[in-house]
Amino acid sequence: MIRVEGIRKRFGTVTAVDTVSFEAHDGTITGLLGPNGAGKTTTLRMLYAVMRPDRGQITIDSVDAVASPQEAQTRLGVLPDGFGLYPRLTAREHIEYFGELHGISGTQLQQRAHELIEMLDMGEIADRRTGGFSHGERTKVALARALVHDPQNVLLDEPTNGLDVMSTRAVRHIVRKLRDQGRCVLFSSHVMQEVSALCDSIVVIASGRVVAHGTPNELRHQTGQDNLEDAFVALAGLERGEEP
Amino acid sequence: MTAGRSLRQIAIVLRKEVKDSLRDRRALWSIVFSMTIGPVLIGFMMNRVAAREHEAERVRIPVVGTENAPTLVEWLNQQAGVQVVAGPDDAEQAIRDRTEDVVVIVPKDFGERFRQSRPARLKIVVDNSRNDARPTTERVRRLLAQYSAEIGSLRLITRGISPVGVRPLDVEEVEVSTAQQRAAQILNFIPMFIIMAGFIGGMQIATDSTAGERERGSLEPLLVNPAARFVFVSGKWLAAALAAFVSVLVTTMLCANLPRFLPLEDMDIRFRIGREHLGGIIGAIGPMCLFTAALQAAVATLARSFKEAQTYMGVLILFPMIPGIMGALYPIGASAWMYFVPMLGPYVLLTNVLGGRDPGVAAYINSGIVSFIAAILLVKITAMLFSSERIIFAR
Repeated sequence: MIRVEGIRKRFGTVTAVDTVSFEAHDGTITGLLGPNGAGKTTTLRMLYAVMRPDRGQITIDSVDAVASPQEAQTRLGVLPDGFGLYPRLTAREHIEYFGELHGISGTQLQQRAHELIEMLDMGEIADRRTGGFSHGERTKVALARALVHDPQNVLLDEPTNGLDVMSTRAVRHIVRKLRDQGRCVLFSSHVMQEVSALCDSIVVIASGRVVAHGTPNELRHQTGQDNLEDAFVALAGLERGEEP
Repeated sequence: MTAGRSLRQIAIVLRKEVKDSLRDRRALWSIVFSMTIGPVLIGFMMNRVAAREHEAERVRIPVVGTENAPTLVEWLNQQAGVQVVAGPDDAEQAIRDRTEDVVVIVPKDFGERFRQSRPARLKIVVDNSRNDARPTTERVRRLLAQYSAEIGSLRLITRGISPVGVRPLDVEEVEVSTAQQRAAQILNFIPMFIIMAGFIGGMQIATDSTAGERERGSLEPLLVNPAARFVFVSGKWLAAALAAFVSVLVTTMLCANLPRFLPLEDMDIRFRIGREHLGGIIGAIGPMCLFTAALQAAVATLARSFKEAQTYMGVLILFPMIPGIMGALYPIGASAWMYFVPMLGPYVLLTNVLGGRDPGVAAYINSGIVSFIAAILLVKITAMLFSSERIIFAR
């Protein structure tokens, strides 16, 4: 369960995030939808506590993420934007490194790594160095190490960006599975179809503000647009510009 | 977060960084190169000095017209290390072609003039622009002058005159730059090479795990793990310090084995690095490795890119070289204040240890504490940098 109340972030004179508030519930996939540069990544970075909001509150399962970032991080599994891997470590070593940092060790860690490798169907690549991995394979490794400590909340920053069709389907399948396990899944995207295909709840962000929040149906009603893409364009105030 | 947990996490980060860098072939080779270059260079230079010394002592003198001066030839052959051989037909050409260092020419009228006690003319053909031939030509000149003086004295004695009267000056040459001293000067570079090995040995991990980690984009996911920033920085710092320390030990071991391959005893040089020195070397260099690794990590973290970090490392490496080169050329006496200067303190300690002098426990403690405190401060600064969003996201 994630609760965000009025967070704001400025870089110099640029306001990247300007009062964003929303809730993401357990057993639900919440989509953070917005055009490029809307403030999605900055919002997520504040949620997983590598950036501090200038003001506002972030609560992860009743933990104040601004005051106790590390405690919040133990409850979060994160796939950041551009998931950097270590090219000289194997997929399994990535999972184990992050698992150990979360305090898991021994047979418990081996067991967990095995489970994740099974779940993400990466048995063949598990003991190869990630240096030559394809984009899809790298995504799997980054996902696996994000989930190693069995987090209640999962944050995914544009997880399907640049993936081919099969890998995208695989990621969607995993996201649904995480929801069905009762987790709170929050994922960002600028792709309409992605969000409408997956999400139970959508938060639309434009220019650092939440412009709408609701189920896909609610958003259609709210804007009077049958098509979710038209609804998005209307909400994001993009009609003045070119087609996204 | 308890201290125990933080320590465990530091160990986890350290282990990962060591494992990662051991798999980096190119970096590994550069470390191996840095560890061996010093001992190899020293060995090479020492061998040159020894060979030169050897050359000058054992001199082969080509003489044209040996039959014209049989007594002189016999006298020369009796001198230690001298061997007279028949000279080439064209002496000047042989010198120009560098097939000979020196050629002595005895003219046909040598014997006649000699018997008449007139100055018997001799020619030596040399190329004075050749430095490598100089020891040989000098030796030949001295031998001929010596022969001339001996014969002169004998002639005076037969005429009832004391030879002392015709020698108003008695010039004695004191050669300062003996081969032994030159060799000792080369050995003075050993402390510098040991310190440099520590510096270069830690460089790879210090830059790759900070600036490199950020450039690969793996820093952000790493920082999502629940650990304090000083935990990540400490793990990386200690990994770099460990690599530095291993490099120092390997270089020291190679230097310690140098005497096996060098004719040091022939040159009457006492040089030894043995087990009894090991404690002193570790005491001098161990804290320094902590300091250099912390300095490198801090500087690399400040750099905007991996490339920039490497450029800074190239500048930083000049610092350990300054006391090293100065010390090798103008041996510096140890003053108490030197132990309070990072880099300089360990260098002075090391020269003392290798020179067989005990700098005293206080010197170790002072130098060690200074290095350690400076290292901790730098790690704290780096941890602060790791908390700065500007640094983490390099914008």
